[in-house]
Amino acid sequence: MSDESASAGETDTDASALGDAIGIWAPRGNEVRIVAGSAIILALFPFIFSRMPVVSDLLQGYQSLATLILIWGIFALGFDLLLGYTGLLSFGHAAFWGGAAYATGVFSQQVSGSPILMVAAGTLFAVLLAWFLGFLSLRRGGIYFAILTLAFAQMMFYMSSSPLAFITGGENGFTGVETGELFGMFALESELPSVLGLLLGTWLYAFVAIITVLCIAFAYRILQSPYGMVFRAIRENEQRAEFVGLNVWRYRLMSFILSGLFAGIAGSLFTIHGTYVPLSSLYWTESGEVVIMTVLGGTGSLFGPMIGAGVYLYVENIVSGGHPVDFIAPFWHLILGLVFVVTIWMFPRGIWGFVRDVRDMITGGDE
Amino acid sequence: MSFHIDVITVLLNGLQQGAIYILLAVGLSIILGTLKFVNFAHGALYLIGTYAGLLIALEINLTSGQLQEWGFSQLGLGLGYIPALIIVPFVVFVVGLAMERFVVEPFKDRPDTDQILVTFGLAIIVQELFRAFFGSSSLPFSQPAWAQGPPQVPFLTAIPISSWRYYVIGITAVLVLIVYLLVEFTDFGLIVRAGTRDPEMVELLGIRLSRPYIVVFGIGAALAGVAGVVGGPLNPVNPTIGNEILVPAFLTVVIGGVGSIAGAVLGGVLFGLTQAILVATYSAWAQVGLYALAAVILLVRPQGLLGEAEVAS
Repeated sequence: MSDESASAGETDTDASALGDAIGIWAPRGNEVRIVAGSAIILALFPFIFSRMPVVSDLLQGYQSLATLILIWGIFALGFDLLLGYTGLLSFGHAAFWGGAAYATGVFSQQVSGSPILMVAAGTLFAVLLAWFLGFLSLRRGGIYFAILTLAFAQMMFYMSSSPLAFITGGENGFTGVETGELFGMFALESELPSVLGLLLGTWLYAFVAIITVLCIAFAYRILQSPYGMVFRAIRENEQRAEFVGLNVWRYRLMSFILSGLFAGIAGSLFTIHGTYVPLSSLYWTESGEVVIMTVLGGTGSLFGPMIGAGVYLYVENIVSGGHPVDFIAPFWHLILGLVFVVTIWMFPRGIWGFVRDVRDMITGGDE
Repeated sequence: MSFHIDVITVLLNGLQQGAIYILLAVGLSIILGTLKFVNFAHGALYLIGTYAGLLIALEINLTSGQLQEWGFSQLGLGLGYIPALIIVPFVVFVVGLAMERFVVEPFKDRPDTDQILVTFGLAIIVQELFRAFFGSSSLPFSQPAWAQGPPQVPFLTAIPISSWRYYVIGITAVLVLIVYLLVEFTDFGLIVRAGTRDPEMVELLGIRLSRPYIVVFGIGAALAGVAGVVGGPLNPVNPTIGNEILVPAFLTVVIGGVGSIAGAVLGGVLFGLTQAILVATYSAWAQVGLYALAAVILLVRPQGLLGEAEVAS
């Protein structure tokens, strides 16, 4: 999205001037450019994807898919904090995504239908769950961690499928979602006024997009901070990080909780977007999907996983419907599997890494 | 009397379910123990075994999928179950050899996470291939007519369990015993065990490890294939069965202890019995109980019940 070194000096001066005024909230590094850039792209995205005359005909996109892409993008972004930056592969993130989705649904039915409160409730549930499950599964590294997270997530799935069916609706999923109006004024499905309606479409998209930008800013903040640096240090060499006196276990737990937080935000938005929680949102293949998105887009980058989410959902929803060519429709999942394997095999840095390589080739490298 | 019969039925059902887990877990466990390779595609091998067994044993009518659209609505050799049981292990053994050569070998020196990811991707590819060609609806894979009723043995006729389930238990016992003897009491097994302990030293002694390793992978795959054939007729057959059985199979390995055949057997029996008992008593909690059991064992005894040390991570 931006050259990291090209204009760092200029933004630093901006930041320090601003920094005196607003203290610790001051933007750091390229934050202003990253956030502004993402905001602009997210503002144009639904128009280009679903309404722009020629392009949208080629893409066959639609408004609700644009929203869904952002939601999964947040999920993948959070997952990458864990996989790409801390180096832990979890196969149980469906627990946070689906758990938050259910919590949000139940909250909307029992307490309040305010979208903001719903997201807060779902996210809080996911964070607490991540804290608990992280505490248990992080005792073991490597494959044990992957299998333990998988086991706990499956436990949640079976919990909601029968013993807790009186709350969750079991096999039928949770159908009682009652989303209210944003700030008590704007129905989420209604169009935004005038030019905003043309660009962004619905209030729902605007709501999701604003949260997405905040998530990007938050993730960037974490990764730029010394705290985020420790995550990378642990990924590179756990032992060395331990030797310089860092409490590796604590940082890992925090990284797990943070990625649970993003999964929770995304899961809550998923409920608001679909007004329904399917039981499959807790199944382990859902964890697999976010793994695929993240790896496909490129682990260890801020925007890679979001691009991966976009590509995945595009194939899942548009290509599977027979666009652009009819005969590949039944093979869409197979194609994703093949692309995924090829990516791990030959381009471990994913689409984003590939883009950067091409850019470096053209500009002759900027490091 | 009837209570006794209920109890025996539950226990036998549990043993039979455990037998399927054991067949998968032994393969996974020896692969993980010797090759240090995490195979998330083990469920896919089970899937291949089931479909291969189905197509060899019976002639089926396809109702969906590409093959049906292309005009192959009748498919299968219809040779019967015994030929299927003999041919399938060889087929899946060869698949296993190919997989070792073309997937495991290149990923040997990559991190665990990459191994999990690539085999997970392969599992999706296999599942989706079957879905595309044979359709996603369940295919009829019934138990053979000669094994549907209870066995005609004096005491067992009273127990409402098909003889097929006894065969599953018997076949598993024989195969696991063979693998155990192979690993513990042959020269091949000696090399494999030595390679597990210290591969560098073994190679310095002039023994090539690549050949025993590829055979170990093939054996593990063949066991998964057998599990597919014997387990297929007990459950609906559709492309997702591989991924569904992978998770309990993996848990069986880790609660038993990685690399230990006895551990895999113990884990499988424990898992199968727990599942059967819970299904018969608190069926809503059956699956939850299973995972809770696994989680508790792993937290209390991280190396597994019979494991010596954990695989380096």
